[in-house]
Amino acid sequence: MELYVAALGFGLISASVIAIAAVGFTMQFGITNMINLAYGEVMMVSGYAAFYVNQAGVNIWVAMIAGALAGAALSYLLNRFLYTPFQRKGTNLIGMVIISLAASLMIANLMLPLVGYDTSSYVIDQGQLLRWNGLVLTAAQIAIIVVAAILMAAIHGLLTYTRLGKAMRATAANPTLARNCGIPTQRVISVVWLITGALCGVAGVVAGMDSENFSVASGAGYLITIIAAAVLGGAGQPYGAMIGALIIGLVTELSAAAIAPEYKQVVAFAILVLVMVLRPQGMLAKRGALAAAG
Amino acid sequence: MNRFQPAVRQHLNSTRLLSVIAALVVLAACGGGTSSTGGLGSGPLLVGVLAPFSGADASFGPRYLAGCYAAALSINGAGGVGGRQVSCQQFDTRGEPADAVPAANAMISSNSNLMGVVGCTSDEASTVVPILDRSHIPMTCMTGQSEFNKTTFKYFHRLVPPDSFDAYAMIGSALFGPGHAPYKNIALVFGDDIGSQTFVGPAVAALNKLGVNIAINQAIHLGASSYRTEVQKMLLTHPDVILTETIGSAGTYLGEVKQLNGGKMIPFIGTSATIDPVWFKQVVTAIGLPDFEANYTAVDLALSLQGPGYDEFVTQLTAADSKYSGSQALTYKGKSPTVHLYDGIILDALAMVAANSSDPTVYNPKIFDIANGVPGATVVNTFKDGVAELKAGKSIRYVGAAGENNFNQWNNSQQGYNLVTMDKNGNEVVIGQLTQAQTQQIIDAGGNA
Repeated sequence: MELYVAALGFGLISASVIAIAAVGFTMQFGITNMINLAYGEVMMVSGYAAFYVNQAGVNIWVAMIAGALAGAALSYLLNRFLYTPFQRKGTNLIGMVIISLAASLMIANLMLPLVGYDTSSYVIDQGQLLRWNGLVLTAAQIAIIVVAAILMAAIHGLLTYTRLGKAMRATAANPTLARNCGIPTQRVISVVWLITGALCGVAGVVAGMDSENFSVASGAGYLITIIAAAVLGGAGQPYGAMIGALIIGLVTELSAAAIAPEYKQVVAFAILVLVMVLRPQGMLAKRGALAAAG
Repeated sequence: MNRFQPAVRQHLNSTRLLSVIAALVVLAACGGGTSSTGGLGSGPLLVGVLAPFSGADASFGPRYLAGCYAAALSINGAGGVGGRQVSCQQFDTRGEPADAVPAANAMISSNSNLMGVVGCTSDEASTVVPILDRSHIPMTCMTGQSEFNKTTFKYFHRLVPPDSFDAYAMIGSALFGPGHAPYKNIALVFGDDIGSQTFVGPAVAALNKLGVNIAINQAIHLGASSYRTEVQKMLLTHPDVILTETIGSAGTYLGEVKQLNGGKMIPFIGTSATIDPVWFKQVVTAIGLPDFEANYTAVDLALSLQGPGYDEFVTQLTAADSKYSGSQALTYKGKSPTVHLYDGIILDALAMVAANSSDPTVYNPKIFDIANGVPGATVVNTFKDGVAELKAGKSIRYVGAAGENNFNQWNNSQQGYNLVTMDKNGNEVVIGQLTQAQTQQIIDAGGNA
């Protein structure tokens, strides 16, 4: 029993990391109609941005801001100078996916000579190991969960209570109508890239903290789980992504406890396939999970 | 009977005679240019270096070729094999079976004076070993594949243990290593890929036979972002030691071991692949240098790099370095493949002299005798000394640059292992030895798998 309670706690940490990333990813798709396969690479670049600030002596929790800024800037630039021009030319969804894949490969290969092939690690004080009723978490891991909770609450507040959030929801629902109603959709989209890019950046940093080390190759590894969580929850649905992240995070860790650990990814993706068969639109989406926004 | 029948009968008899003569000629040709009636023959001899010289494993070929150059110089400096001078030629397999097969076939068909072949790495051994064996060419191979552990290929020889024997050596380290009592409760933590799992079967078999408890046998998916649940599961079994490799994920796993174990590290023993600067850096970053130095050991091939056999090797390697400019032969003087393949070629040459034959079907069995020694054999350390003793009518045991060899019935040899750690700069430091006998005890317990 002790093992399962511990696994539950570990699942919450994994879910927190995935949630921060998946919410940003699904918002990008939901509002801008872009399946951004370079998302993992942006996380990786942001992770390195925070790394170099951390190496300069800055506490990693403060260096995380550098990661967020790097993620925001890179995401904005990607959209401004790569994705938008192709979208304006009428490139279809598959074409845009290919372009984002090309972007991810370019970013990864540009980073290699800059940062090298070796793994890197943050200087981080994990803090005391806390045990409570079977839960086993360090202070740093609890902080990651708290950061994730704050960010999810902030996203909820943004979407529900702010004018920007309402404009984002309107743009996601029907960009043409939103434009006709006077909503500056292009500016909204730019802001979305900045906000989701910042989320991506924070996700890159917490992923690096969670795994103790990371490298250029980590970017591709992050993406699969993020897409799984986003699709599970319903593409374009931030709340669905949060639920998807929770399910994947908990299921992977609990299955490692119950069955052999080499099957934990298999179990997680089996759940995804099962949900897609029973509810193809994802857990929360009302339409098909891969239907374009608007 | 008609008047044509005697002519027909004579024609038929001539035809039969011609067929018999033709068959005899073909049989003689199939001997491959060697004498089946004894004697060392004449003309130059060739050692084929069949290995990758291009492609992903391009670094392998040159170090094997360096060993060949040194062996050829040692043999030729002592008058050659019955006066026949030995030379080396590379045959590039590109590290791909599809390229290795034509390279091997071209090598055999173009060179009737092949005395032996060295190289045949894991990249191509599965495809070229049957070809070489069919052509009766003694080979000294570097492949670590387990499929050759109990090979039926008579001309196959392996002077380095298979990769999977690292598992036996790790168990030896757990049971006989310095600085601790024999560990009684062992955790096995390896990646779930085929390469990593190669170690698990032999380890489990040996541990079960030896009556040592396996606390947990855990296969983890390499490259995952965390292993907290796996680590917690492992910690609940309270192992004395962890046997592991987990290339690329060792830092994450072991870091979480320390974290979830209240800051305390459990001793861990790594395969020879963990003696690597990248592995060192990942793990030291995760657990800190003091814990690394206090808890890490690994196993490595026992290569003493000393003794008269090694001195001769270095002398010839130095000569090869200047004679074959561009070979950089001397850079390989501490490399196991260079040293072992040098010994392999010397063994082939001594076997030819001992058998007084250039026919591989005659001298191939002698390789085993000269490597292991027969009762009353005189130990020799160089080709020159070996020839002198053979001429004096003695039987010999060649103890060469890499030390003693001990072929088992499948022509696999192991010399024991070094137990090592790494210092603060990641340099390998030998801290103990697993003798050949100790290693064999564990290999036997594991069924030689």
